[in-house]
Amino acid sequence: MIETERLTRRFGARTAVEGLTLKANAGEILGFLGPNGAGKTTTIRMLAGIIAPTCGRATVAGIRPDQEPERLHEVIGLLPEAPGFYERLSARRNLRYFASFYSNCDGATQAEKYLTLMGLAGRGDDRVASFSKGMKQRLALARALLHEPKVLFLDEPTAGLDPEVAREFRDLIEDLSGEGRTIFLSTHNLAEAEQLSRRIAVVRTQLIALDTPEALRKRQFQRSIVVQLESVSDALLEAVRGFPFVERAQLQGNRLAVALSDPDRDRPELVQRLVESGARILEIGEEKRSLEEVYLSLVQEGSS
Amino acid sequence: MTSKRILNVLRKEWAVMRSSPSNLLYVVLIPLLLTGQALLLIWLVSRFVGGQAVTAAMIRAAPQDAAGSLPSLSSADQFRVLLASQFNFFLLVIPAMIANVFATLSIVEEKVTRTLEPLLATPVRTWELLVGKALSGAIPALLTTWACAGIFVAAVAGLGWGHLLGFVIGPSWYLSLLLLTPAVVAMSFVLGVIGSSRANDPKSAQNIAVIIVLPIFALIGVQVTGLVWFTPILTLILALGIWAADLLLVYTAVALFKRESIVIRWR
Repeated sequence: MIETERLTRRFGARTAVEGLTLKANAGEILGFLGPNGAGKTTTIRMLAGIIAPTCGRATVAGIRPDQEPERLHEVIGLLPEAPGFYERLSARRNLRYFASFYSNCDGATQAEKYLTLMGLAGRGDDRVASFSKGMKQRLALARALLHEPKVLFLDEPTAGLDPEVAREFRDLIEDLSGEGRTIFLSTHNLAEAEQLSRRIAVVRTQLIALDTPEALRKRQFQRSIVVQLESVSDALLEAVRGFPFVERAQLQGNRLAVALSDPDRDRPELVQRLVESGARILEIGEEKRSLEEVYLSLVQEGSS
Repeated sequence: MTSKRILNVLRKEWAVMRSSPSNLLYVVLIPLLLTGQALLLIWLVSRFVGGQAVTAAMIRAAPQDAAGSLPSLSSADQFRVLLASQFNFFLLVIPAMIANVFATLSIVEEKVTRTLEPLLATPVRTWELLVGKALSGAIPALLTTWACAGIFVAAVAGLGWGHLLGFVIGPSWYLSLLLLTPAVVAMSFVLGVIGSSRANDPKSAQNIAVIIVLPIFALIGVQVTGLVWFTPILTLILALGIWAADLLLVYTAVALFKRESIVIRWR
């Protein structure tokens, strides 16, 4: 549904996006992560046909954004970083105005539908200036959906929202994905990216990685087994390090982190040997690296 | 679809304008004050200053074809005719001001509220947006100007100077209202767009209005002092000259109003 090939954008001597090649499948939520200034918004603007690439190409829903922007805009919805409304007009008037530019959109009906869906039906006649940030953000999502787009570009949709509203917003995004829409989600919120996206693209001007969160974890960090013990002695640690299938063992208090050659195969053997060595096991599980650790590791790698 | 989109832009602009009563001052109150001021000036000057010496000097300064038909009138009426003949230029201040205010408010407001990016993500074409905005300013500017011209004529007749209208309303008057006024509207709007592209608040953008209002006062000054009398031919040349300048300015404005410039450079 979204494809880019060596997509590049330069502003004078500065390169904002370089050689970006990626693909988002129909119905997928693709998380788009990167530090500030990594080119996320520039990429979205190129894909949404607002600015042209310097070189490379992109297609969104089979349409080249730089060649047929008007046709593209009929099938995409954009939630920009700043919601942007005519503050002195009502929410309803704002939605109807934006809806009026689409060829197959009954503005009045669609405005009512999405005001209701976003929980704003009772405030439809109020000026947008009186809305909270969360309400404006919901209204902006309603605006992006008025013409029932197949593809949605969301640029940091939960930035600055309180946790409760952010959660409601994430639920809405999940619902939209459930309707079969392709969602390109740029975010700084790693937990959000992991919760919503099947695959994550990490960028820093260039694409650093694109895969599922799990695959990115595997790629960046070796799988480790964590064993919580009642007590640990130096002798036990030395014994563990001597097990033939153990590649590395580290101790943090009574918590033993063990890197195994093949965690799935070797885990029962590790438990058995620990018990034989006199260890009293309280808990055992696989060490879960947070996406934040994976992301920081990837970004560091990308900048070195 | 294009005409529908333009109409929607126009309606929205008017809705935004209506939402702030102070904006209506520019369209209603200030033009009326300007018209009243012109009438008052004619009344006061011919009442207190309209001496033979001043009138004779001014008639001498005016070209023969303008002054030639006046000797049949009293010196006070001659003076009134000369002053009333400046009104078509004086009127140009109204469209210049209204078009500029609409351009700057509508575009700077989009910048301030950051509505341009979501707007540019809709199928509306940039030129449709620009035309809608231009018309939203041009229509009230032209209608108000013509209404003020009508009020002026009615007031002149009402004040007992109706017999002078034949000397004032001629080809130059019509050329000024029908050709020169739209040219000034276009120039004012385009300068407003250019000013808005660099300004971050409506007041800074409106400073550009000075560029267009000052030459209008200069036109009046030039004619009153008798240096140049705007005959129909000269008025036509002036209008065509402004239209030509408009075309050049439109190229600049369109370049500034490209999607990419708006998103990247308009900060």
